[in-house]
Amino acid sequence: MQRTLLFETFRFSIIFLIIALTLVPTLWMVSMAFKPIQEWSASGGDLTWWPKNPTLDNFRFIFGESSSELIVALERGAGRPILASLLSATFGTLIAMVAGTTAAYGLSRFNSGRNLPLALIQLRLFPPMAVMIPVMIMWAFLGLTDTWWGLALIYGIVTLPFAFWLMKTFFDDMPREIEDAALVEGCSRFRVFLKITLPMMRPALASSALFVFILNWSDYLIALLLTTRDWVTIPVYMASLSSSMTGQLYGAKAALGLIAAIPPVVMGIAIQKHLVRGLTFGALKE
Amino acid sequence: MTTHTSTIETVDKKAGGREANLGLWLTLPTQLLVVFIAVFPILMQLYISLTDWSPLDGIQWWRAWELWNTFANYTDLAADSQFWGAVGRTFLIMAICVPVEFLLGLGLAILFVDNFPGRKILYSVLLVPMMVVPAVAGYMFYMLFQSGGPVNDLLSIFVGYPVRIAWLSDPTLALFAIIVADIWQWTPLMFLVLLAGLVGVPEDQQQAATLLGASWTRRFFTIVLPRMKAIIIIALAIRVIENFKIFDTLFIMTNGGPGVATETISVYIYKITQQDLIWGYVAAIALAILIVLSLVSVFAIKLIASKEQAS
Repeated sequence: MQRTLLFETFRFSIIFLIIALTLVPTLWMVSMAFKPIQEWSASGGDLTWWPKNPTLDNFRFIFGESSSELIVALERGAGRPILASLLSATFGTLIAMVAGTTAAYGLSRFNSGRNLPLALIQLRLFPPMAVMIPVMIMWAFLGLTDTWWGLALIYGIVTLPFAFWLMKTFFDDMPREIEDAALVEGCSRFRVFLKITLPMMRPALASSALFVFILNWSDYLIALLLTTRDWVTIPVYMASLSSSMTGQLYGAKAALGLIAAIPPVVMGIAIQKHLVRGLTFGALKE
Repeated sequence: MTTHTSTIETVDKKAGGREANLGLWLTLPTQLLVVFIAVFPILMQLYISLTDWSPLDGIQWWRAWELWNTFANYTDLAADSQFWGAVGRTFLIMAICVPVEFLLGLGLAILFVDNFPGRKILYSVLLVPMMVVPAVAGYMFYMLFQSGGPVNDLLSIFVGYPVRIAWLSDPTLALFAIIVADIWQWTPLMFLVLLAGLVGVPEDQQQAATLLGASWTRRFFTIVLPRMKAIIIIALAIRVIENFKIFDTLFIMTNGGPGVATETISVYIYKITQQDLIWGYVAAIALAILIVLSLVSVFAIKLIASKEQAS
């Protein structure tokens, strides 16, 4: 496109309009998180865009400390749900990455498991809702319902397609001369994989793991179906942030929402370069 | 890919069969997980879908044959107007969201193709919505669309008198609010993928065309777009697949309501799973969806593969 002044003005005005639309909902939540109860409750009257009296009360409140006379302290604080989200997402990522990386290497170098690329894409295609009945029955049978390890197992399986496809494209891209050289020197294939290939792939492994973690951390539906009380995750727990006195606890929800939103946004920006590859199952590399 | 295999193959022959099995061992965990989550559950689902079984019946699922009803669930499904309503709504939401997201994403991507001051930081900011946890985005838009919320506040400024629309309690407006939330969250994905595609179009042809006097629009439609065909198909496919599953934001914002005004397939299945607990029927719906989706995906993959061979 020609770089005329007119075009540049047009470009920047459109971009800034879109940026504003992008940021308003997020900033509204940030603002709500720091408002005292008088400013966010339904009866609070006037709505302000920025908190008049910024406070950390909402954050204190969700961790079990009530600093306002309007609402009683929560029966259960947000600490445990945050722990549940962290544990299930982390171990889910671990399962997906271990199974996905080894399988991707097996396919990329030994051409085994040729059914996997398509099978895993199909796994991703299906709505989780459509396989949840058997999963709920199996999880109940195995005693995995309402545990973080039960969630971790299903998260690991659900995000396995991404781990597999990402690592497969990284392995396919990797030059094989170094592996070849180590083989000629007499290393076993498995040693080469452990001692040479994996250390070389550290950046790729890190990006894939972060990508998978974001997906696991973002789940709502599976946790809604498979946890009931002890190990509910952040999004499921958020629904319980309301009280009979004031209705929805917007401030508390915004505070917890902010805590939940920060890790994936930071990680996502950190792995920007590989987002396209991850989202398109490696069909497109940037 | 095939250029370096020769050395590896020679080494393989030296090492004999001992290491040839390594590939099988490496892929084994994934194969087992696929069997565990796909093969076994689908067989179980098929079995339950032929019965009236419910977890409240007090009998274990493997004894569900005691409540055998053959194909009654499937004939019920064909006549279930609430289900078909949910199917219609799912496709309506998709038919609005996906094209809007595509056009907005493509437009933005075009503005980002060449470098300009601040491009990098603006690019990162634009990606934020797709990384926000969908459930949290649901709460965000729930707050925004309250009658005393900022959306009405902004509207009041524009029209000059206080607006108090109860967005989420009106059937049409609730659907609108949900579509807005989806577009907000997923336009960045279209933008990201399409921009990667646009940047990948080689510049030499475009420069040649410019020298010959072709206008920007002409170059875009005759050179750039045809080369992006595969990427456009991928971007659209991703959004169609994901939008079909739409649940998190929607369920938090409206719970499928008011009434059934925003009830999609996933929400409907969720409701009969958790509230009505008629799992035999849920299994039938789920299996029917799985079969249709498998047929569509096999057909789509064959179509894409044959097009690729032709070109």
